[in-house]
Amino acid sequence: MFKKAICVAMLSAVGTVYAADVPINGTVQSRCIITTDTAGVYGNPNAYTLTTTPADGGQLAVVRFDVTLADAYYAEITAPSEFSSSPTLPDTVTWTGDTEVSAVSDATGMGSYETNKIELGMTDKYDLTATGSTWFKTSSTATMGGNKAFPGGNYTALVEALCVAQ
Amino acid sequence: MLKKLLLSAALASLAGYSYSESIAPYSGITPNAAAGGNTWSMDNVLPNGVPGLDINLIIYRYTPQKETADDMTVHIQNENAAGTGYIFRESDDWSGLPGGTEIRKVVPVVPSNRSLWGNGSIEVEGTGTVEEPFVFYNYRVDPCYDPQFDPNCPGYVQPIPEIPVVDIEIYDATEDEYVNLSSEETVLLEENEEVLEELDEEEEEEAEKKKRAYRLAALEASNAAMLFAENQRIQQMNQVAQQAVDAMYMPVTINGGVYKDALVMQDKKLPTNPRGLRNGFAQQLLHEKMVEMQYK
Repeated sequence: MFKKAICVAMLSAVGTVYAADVPINGTVQSRCIITTDTAGVYGNPNAYTLTTTPADGGQLAVVRFDVTLADAYYAEITAPSEFSSSPTLPDTVTWTGDTEVSAVSDATGMGSYETNKIELGMTDKYDLTATGSTWFKTSSTATMGGNKAFPGGNYTALVEALCVAQ
Repeated sequence: MLKKLLLSAALASLAGYSYSESIAPYSGITPNAAAGGNTWSMDNVLPNGVPGLDINLIIYRYTPQKETADDMTVHIQNENAAGTGYIFRESDDWSGLPGGTEIRKVVPVVPSNRSLWGNGSIEVEGTGTVEEPFVFYNYRVDPCYDPQFDPNCPGYVQPIPEIPVVDIEIYDATEDEYVNLSSEETVLLEENEEVLEELDEEEEEEAEKKKRAYRLAALEASNAAMLFAENQRIQQMNQVAQQAVDAMYMPVTINGGVYKDALVMQDKKLPTNPRGLRNGFAQQLLHEKMVEMQYK
């Protein structure tokens, strides 16, 4: 009886096909980190203008790019062209904005970032050719059409900063 | 009593902990060294009177102003106080680059003692200027750099108080040239010295005798005490054993009266065992046969 049982077990083992999926996991850590250094503030020099110009009571938005791999990323920074939140507006808003290199951590490697940048409308594109930190400052001005006043309330606009792999 | 002891122990440990906190290394950062210009003395920047201070990081930022075509190199540096050259020098080459862009740098250095750090400066080589310079030194202080700073520091040596040596001259009248002693007086002095020595020896012997007697007495007393204690222990053990025996037997009460034998054996015929007889007979035959064999 015991022998029979062994035979049955052996037959069943031969007749079964086993399969397994073996995963291979991996983690890629980004070598480009974007950090908000300073949040911008809109000043209101007149009823129909909101601007980040410090002379008008505003503050420029500053974003920092930390790159640990040279010649591997572009920094694309877009000044805002709409409010993400605001009161109901009585007219269309005209937007202007610009981004500049504010500070660098390597003079020789990053000193030419500003002169070599490519401007595509409200977007400025920088080739991050050196490792280290680069601070970019973005200005933004919103002007209400028809010289109408901005309604009272809170206004928020967003600067979009992207680190795009080359 | 135990509570009091525990409380005092806890207080002692608390006190020790707070005391050891004072010797824990700590870090700090200086104010802007370049606030007063492009050269500075480290004595005016670093805290004074701290021997175990090591500088481990320099943070600086400035904005160069120059024409793009101009050559310009900016050096942030500190002289080597223990020799020639610089103990720290970081250079930024702006040649062919536009000005107006601020540079911010964090430069770690191998920690080195402040005594090695000489005067600091921002040196501009070429054409251009430096605006809004900020230079900060990050440092770490080890209070136990000098182990004698605190008794909790490793390597602390308990200081030995200096005992002033007083040079006392003992006056000896016999060697005083101004003291005239006759030969008899000199002899008398010598005799006195001999007597004094003998007396000292006798006193020493007497003291030694007393010590021996005391040690002997103490030994005897000790032996007697040991024997007495041993005897007491034996007595206690005997008492315990006796109590156990008493506990077993003493509570039993034997009733009085006559105890008669109740077992009566009845007469009966006991038959012989024929099998045993046969077996015994066969063995007897075998024995006799074996005995006879030795005479053959």
